[in-house]
Amino acid sequence: MKQFAEWLSTTFPSVFIQNHNSWAIPVIQSIHIVGIAIVLGSVFLIDVRILGWSGRDQTLRQTTNRFGPWLTGSLWMLLLTGVLMVIGEPVRELVTFSFWLKMFLVAVGALIAIIFLRAVRKHEQRWEDGILQRGTVKSLAVITFLLWASIIILGRLIAYDHIWGSWSPAAVK
Amino acid sequence: MDIAAILKWIEATGLATSIRNSLYVFPMLESVHVIAFALVLGTIAVIDLRLLGIASTERPFKRVASDILKWTWIAFTLTAITGGLMFTTNASVYYHNFYFRSKMVLLLLAGLNMLAFELTAGRTVHQWDLARTAPTSGRVVAVLSLVIWIGTIFAGRFIGFTTSRATVKDEAPVDVKFDDLFQSAPAGGGKIPAAPSPNK
Repeated sequence: MKQFAEWLSTTFPSVFIQNHNSWAIPVIQSIHIVGIAIVLGSVFLIDVRILGWSGRDQTLRQTTNRFGPWLTGSLWMLLLTGVLMVIGEPVRELVTFSFWLKMFLVAVGALIAIIFLRAVRKHEQRWEDGILQRGTVKSLAVITFLLWASIIILGRLIAYDHIWGSWSPAAVK
Repeated sequence: MDIAAILKWIEATGLATSIRNSLYVFPMLESVHVIAFALVLGTIAVIDLRLLGIASTERPFKRVASDILKWTWIAFTLTAITGGLMFTTNASVYYHNFYFRSKMVLLLLAGLNMLAFELTAGRTVHQWDLARTAPTSGRVVAVLSLVIWIGTIFAGRFIGFTTSRATVKDEAPVDVKFDDLFQSAPAGGGKIPAAPSPNK
């Protein structure tokens, strides 16, 4: 992976970003954070609807129709800006424990979101009639929020990968 | 007491010192700051898009606002607390930083923008509560709100690139005894800095 990262850092798009890093990296990161805001906001508002803390004038289907497309759309935007960040700083991103744990959790989070949105679309009435009231669904709402929050924390920890001690591949001497 | 002395005093407080001396607290404050700020922007955007007639148009404006703004305020409070704690660790550097100052100006503008809403479209909500879009003044406020809050993110991110973190005590990271998990990790020295440049 380190060899790959070092090779990537010699390619044209990477060199281009590195040569303009004083503005390119913070700008890409800022756009990434805007995407994070849309994803986390959407996850949060769907979750509080499931928990019955907000949006009770809306059915679950209305809530997922409202926020689902923003959630999935922003995930694409995060993928794009994320790829640009990896291209711009390959070693800093790829040779960390935080990055790979984050990618694993993103895959889990995205999979849960896709399955959930599809399930609500397919069995709208069953969700309104009972599934929504189940304790497991309510716990899943809390867990998914915590999952996305952890993803954000891990994203920030890419800059501090040394805190993982020997788990950080950068620490391997 | 001049401002420089106040800033130095803030940096010297026990709170600021203990945050500086911890390997974990500052990154955690940053993370919670991002999470809370994401919720501020994520929730406020719902209100702005409702004002613009882009989304949630089938719901009365007042219902959307009362349903969502409470979360915005909780998240904003958390953002302010974590931001304030980060500020204490290196107060004089942040105080003189252009992007930090820009961010504070943007926060002020966001407040004035909210005030402008209350004094214009906010006064006649009962007339357009069910309408698809807010009157012009409301839509202008909505666009400004989105621009200001997104601008705040950019300013915030640039702070991290234009300031250096106050030095942390040279605390050795905990040695997790699961080395074998990473036996396959690239061995041998490289150009990877042991201590990555922080904040970025």
